[in-house]
Amino acid sequence: MIRYEAVTKRYGDGPPALDGLTLEVPAGETCVLVGPSGGGKTTALKMVNRLVEPTSGRVLIDGRDVASTDPVILRRGIGYVIQQVGLFPHLDVAANVATVPKLLGWDRDRIEARVDELLDLVGLEPGTYRHRRPEELSGGQRQRVGVARALAADPPILLMDEPFGAVDPVTRARLQDEFLRVQRTLRRTVVLVTHDIDEALRLGDRLAVLATGGRLEQYATPAEVLARPATAFVADFVGAGRTLRRLDLLTVADALVPGRTTGGGPSVAPAATLADAMAALLTSDGPSVPVVDGGSVLGEVTLDSIRAALRESQVDVEVDVEVDT
Amino acid sequence: MVLALLIAVPPAVALGVAAARRPRLAAVAVGTAGVIFTIPSLALFALLVGPLGLGTAPAVAALALYSVLPVLRNTVVGLHEVPPDAVEAARGMGMTEAQSLWRVRLPLALPVVVGGVRVAAVTAVGVATVAALVAAGGLGDSVFAGLRAGDSTEVLAATAVIAALALTVDGTLALVERWLRRGR
Ligand SMILES: Nc1ncnc2c1ncn2[C@@H]1O[C@H](COP(=O)(O)OP(=O)(O)O)[C@@H](O)[C@H]1O
Ligand SMILES: [Mg+2]
Repeated sequence: MIRYEAVTKRYGDGPPALDGLTLEVPAGETCVLVGPSGGGKTTALKMVNRLVEPTSGRVLIDGRDVASTDPVILRRGIGYVIQQVGLFPHLDVAANVATVPKLLGWDRDRIEARVDELLDLVGLEPGTYRHRRPEELSGGQRQRVGVARALAADPPILLMDEPFGAVDPVTRARLQDEFLRVQRTLRRTVVLVTHDIDEALRLGDRLAVLATGGRLEQYATPAEVLARPATAFVADFVGAGRTLRRLDLLTVADALVPGRTTGGGPSVAPAATLADAMAALLTSDGPSVPVVDGGSVLGEVTLDSIRAALRESQVDVEVDVEVDT
Repeated sequence: MVLALLIAVPPAVALGVAAARRPRLAAVAVGTAGVIFTIPSLALFALLVGPLGLGTAPAVAALALYSVLPVLRNTVVGLHEVPPDAVEAARGMGMTEAQSLWRVRLPLALPVVVGGVRVAAVTAVGVATVAALVAAGGLGDSVFAGLRAGDSTEVLAATAVIAALALTVDGTLALVERWLRRGR
């Protein structure tokens, strides 16, 4: 668990880069720091591994102030994926991934086995990629190596600064999928920085929306940020498409009208998103789309049932808020 | 000549490492080494013969002094050119300053440092010729003996050998440099 307590950072005499941040990241969750450039996201991230020291306030890991741990020891226990990947250009993929295990003095066999395991995990075939140099890799492959390197010594905490920033949209979407897959099994405590609200909504269990000047505008689940933006800034940042985005977070099962269906044409699976269902509705001739699970018809979705699902999820969020406070 | 380089390179690199993060020290060190580099070789030999006498000692000392500038300057430049994200990654993953220097910064600066050694070595071949004047021996002896005797064949032959030597040294170190830079 990571906890920020009234953390402020000023560089020089200027205005604060981070202004009294208080928030808690539960163990095993992904917290996304999101906001416009210059909002203090990187600053906040680097305080966890003491690359930046707070001007005031403190950062705790499992109840312990990071300032009381030697930074070198602290950092070896925290995975770090930096903004420009930062692979060592003079070392091959295996040596890059092995960096922290080597610092920790693991023996060679253990390191070798671990490197192969990690390359597999991030979808790079070890036999092919172990001895490639960073410049022989595509942007997406470099990012994967960066993630493998950060995970090498099995750290409970992972810090990621715009980890999928430097790749094309198709590759980014694939890397995001893989991050979600890996994180579902590993369940690390992740702090991830991005300026991309769509990426934040996709990857985060919780979003911390930071405005310029390092003010925390809202700290909540993606559904809550979309349904009830806490401030005008958040509403504006999330943008006009937020109803459409909420359709991405709800599934067909949420809007299912069980029973028979009158619809023909395209059908959807219960695990598909409501955005998929909307798309199917728009391209079908009738007012409903059949919901089909492996050959058997479960029922249908209609515009009305989707509307109801949206309304209901908003109510759920309001109940959540009351429970929280 | 090799001895002079062996003497000069480690302290020049060490000074370069120290200077890389201290702009004022870098300015003073590179400036001083630059002044030494521009002293004509004959004058430098004359200065060194005073304390060191005739023979190999002043020759080696002069070559070492000349070698400092290119190596020092290239070390500073090479370290500055190391990608900042690699240095940040090293720090962020828990390398100490020394580990980051030995495992990341120096290896990445090495091709540029070798470029400096290359300049120093080629300079040294030329200056070593003149070292015959302080009784250090070597190929320079043949050049000067030939000059005195008016034997242009001997002068030409000795000069050709010296030029070939310089080209060989330069070529070899250029290959080393290229090998170190492969795929960067
Ligand atoms: N090392 C630094 N020295 C001075 N100012 C800095 C430094 N790092 C960041 N800043 C300033 O602090 C503010 C927040 O920066 P940063 O944390 O990088 O924001 P973000 O990651 O959200 O873009 C910016 O105005 C930036 O210019
Ligand atoms: Mg940033």
